[in-house]
Amino acid sequence: MRVVIGEDLFLLRDGLVRLLTAHGFEIAAAVGTAPELLTALTELKPDVSIVDVRMPPSHTDDGLRVAIEARRVVPGLPVLVLSQYVEQLYAAELLADRAGGVGYLLKDRVFSDAAFAQAVRDVAAGGTVLDPEVVARLMARRTRSGPLAALTPREREVLALMAEGRSNAAIAARLFITDKGVAKHAAGIFARLGLALSDDDNRRVLAVLAYLNG
Amino acid sequence: MKTLGDFSAGYLPRIRASWPAVLLPLVAFGTLGLTASTWPELIIALALIITVVAPRESARIAPYALFAYGVYGLYLMHSLLINEANSVTYGFVHAWWRPVQSGVNWYTVGSRWNQWVLTEAVACLVAGVCLLARRQALGSGPVRRAVAQLRGTGGQPKTVPPLLLIGAIFLWEELFGQDLWFGTPWQPGFTPMMLVAILIFAAGVAAVVWLPRAAAVLAVVGIVLIGLIGVLSGVQPGYLPVGPWSGYTIGFYGAVPLGGGTDRVFAGLEGVALVAVGCVLGRRLLTWSADFELAERARALSQRVDGLTRTRSEAAETAVAELRRIERDLHDGAQARLVAVGMSLRAVEQLMGTNPEAALALVAEARETSSRALEDLRDLVRGIYPPVLADRGLAEAVRNLALDAVLDVDVNVDLPGEPPMPVAAAVYFAVAEALTNAVRHAGARTVQVGLEHAGGMLRATVADDGRGGADASRGSGLAGVERRLGTFDGILTVSSPAGGPTIVAIEVPCALSSVKISSC
Repeated sequence: MRVVIGEDLFLLRDGLVRLLTAHGFEIAAAVGTAPELLTALTELKPDVSIVDVRMPPSHTDDGLRVAIEARRVVPGLPVLVLSQYVEQLYAAELLADRAGGVGYLLKDRVFSDAAFAQAVRDVAAGGTVLDPEVVARLMARRTRSGPLAALTPREREVLALMAEGRSNAAIAARLFITDKGVAKHAAGIFARLGLALSDDDNRRVLAVLAYLNG
Repeated sequence: MKTLGDFSAGYLPRIRASWPAVLLPLVAFGTLGLTASTWPELIIALALIITVVAPRESARIAPYALFAYGVYGLYLMHSLLINEANSVTYGFVHAWWRPVQSGVNWYTVGSRWNQWVLTEAVACLVAGVCLLARRQALGSGPVRRAVAQLRGTGGQPKTVPPLLLIGAIFLWEELFGQDLWFGTPWQPGFTPMMLVAILIFAAGVAAVVWLPRAAAVLAVVGIVLIGLIGVLSGVQPGYLPVGPWSGYTIGFYGAVPLGGGTDRVFAGLEGVALVAVGCVLGRRLLTWSADFELAERARALSQRVDGLTRTRSEAAETAVAELRRIERDLHDGAQARLVAVGMSLRAVEQLMGTNPEAALALVAEARETSSRALEDLRDLVRGIYPPVLADRGLAEAVRNLALDAVLDVDVNVDLPGEPPMPVAAAVYFAVAEALTNAVRHAGARTVQVGLEHAGGMLRATVADDGRGGADASRGSGLAGVERRLGTFDGILTVSSPAGGPTIVAIEVPCALSSVKISSC
């Protein structure tokens, strides 16, 4: 699996390269500035990319803008955005094209290397992986109004874990219920949110989006 | 024993240096003419002693004595002219006549001397003023400042030029005094016209206090005009172009009865003097108005300085408190956690060989602690300068706040550019605080946040549909926000009637820079 890494801090970039190599990824390019990153993403079209939000030249949200721009040029290009902070605004912008293959995680999540590698694979496969911090803050807000008000508390828990990019098995383990139970809750969520039967991954993405925009 | 040479060497230069001293016994001699004065001889003797023993002090007192003597003379003349008295006994003329005055009917003789008395009073007054103005040493504080103002050589605040209006009004009311104060024909007691006269005076006083500049202009115009009237009546006996006396031979003009003969000469001379004074004052008017502007600007500036001093010290205090908080947070948070990480790693070093399992557990713990440290740092940075504000500017940062809020928040932004960073941060934290209050205390369901820039003013409003009745004294949160805004001359107002809605309005004067465009 070919990966492009955009990270301006050498130590972190180097660490990411080693971590991903150790987990069997192939590093197509590892760059330190936004313009280089845009070139690498649009020309190499990697299977997945890891992008830092704050990058040169302006050291603001250059990385994020590059990620969004690259996904405009190459629709559905899987991007996992890393940052020292997670902001709802940026999460909403990343998910706005509803194409899936998006991740948005705090940099510290790299510490759990196996989980991080799994998140990269999920994004590459078209899933949506949101940082628990984003999800927690969404949870605080979205229970009062909007379509999510129709969900049961349990369904909301399941949806929150889905938004974090967890598989049915992982959700089952976390909530101490069976895989079948998770599938039942998921079906309930899709039904209540009015998501027609289609491929499961896409419905999961749409459910998360409903969650975000709720 | 002192010789005559010593005397001339010691005393003569002193007397020459303070020659106005000799005026003191002279004025004292004039008191002989005052019927009111008891023992004038004693007063004269006292003045002579002071002059000889302490010529310098005598010179200091003499101008004031002259001035007071002149004022008293004018007062006496005036009471004579408005028929309160039939005659006056004043001045050197009467002092001279004193020995033979018994049996003299002053009512018949008096009018002959009235002009001399008036001349003497005016001369004493002018001499006194001139002496006071001549040397700074002679004039005390207020007098010196007044003279300096009239001469246009500085002196703040501007009080004397406008005060001339009172003098001008006095002259004019005297001209019309017959009508104003006594009615025509003579009526004793109160007349409605008296009220008019009093009201005109009151208006003059009000103008001096609130419109000093206009008062000064009016005073100069009034003095010149009344001077012209005096000149005209001097040219044509008994002629008064205005008022009920046109054509009459009775009238009062600057303490002079308007009539034929010497009256006319005095009125004419007085008119010429007044025109001259008016012209000189008119020239000074230019200086005055410049000084008025300066005084106004100085007042505005000093107010501004007061405000800046206050907000600056508040800003400094806020900054220090903020730094203390950051220091404390770092000390208790990230710093402490990094110490723990270091200690864990040190233990891992020791355990690696002997107890790999325990070492592994410690490494996991260290990793967990470093995550916590990062969390602490994230929270801290959000409180210092929020990342979205740094990345995207105020509008997007406020939108992010809305997304982050537990309530439904509508954001309406109309910002064609970006305010300066410190202003943006202050407004951001103000909006954040207002939103927090809406969530915590108002029990609101929805919140409207507005952000616009118009007329050089950045306005932010946070309106909720909660229960209102927010504490007027405000929480410490909003007070801190207000202090921070105050540094940029910004204000924060809270309107929160019981039952809602609560509206927090923030206004900060600032210019916007062009929209920040991030290059990718």
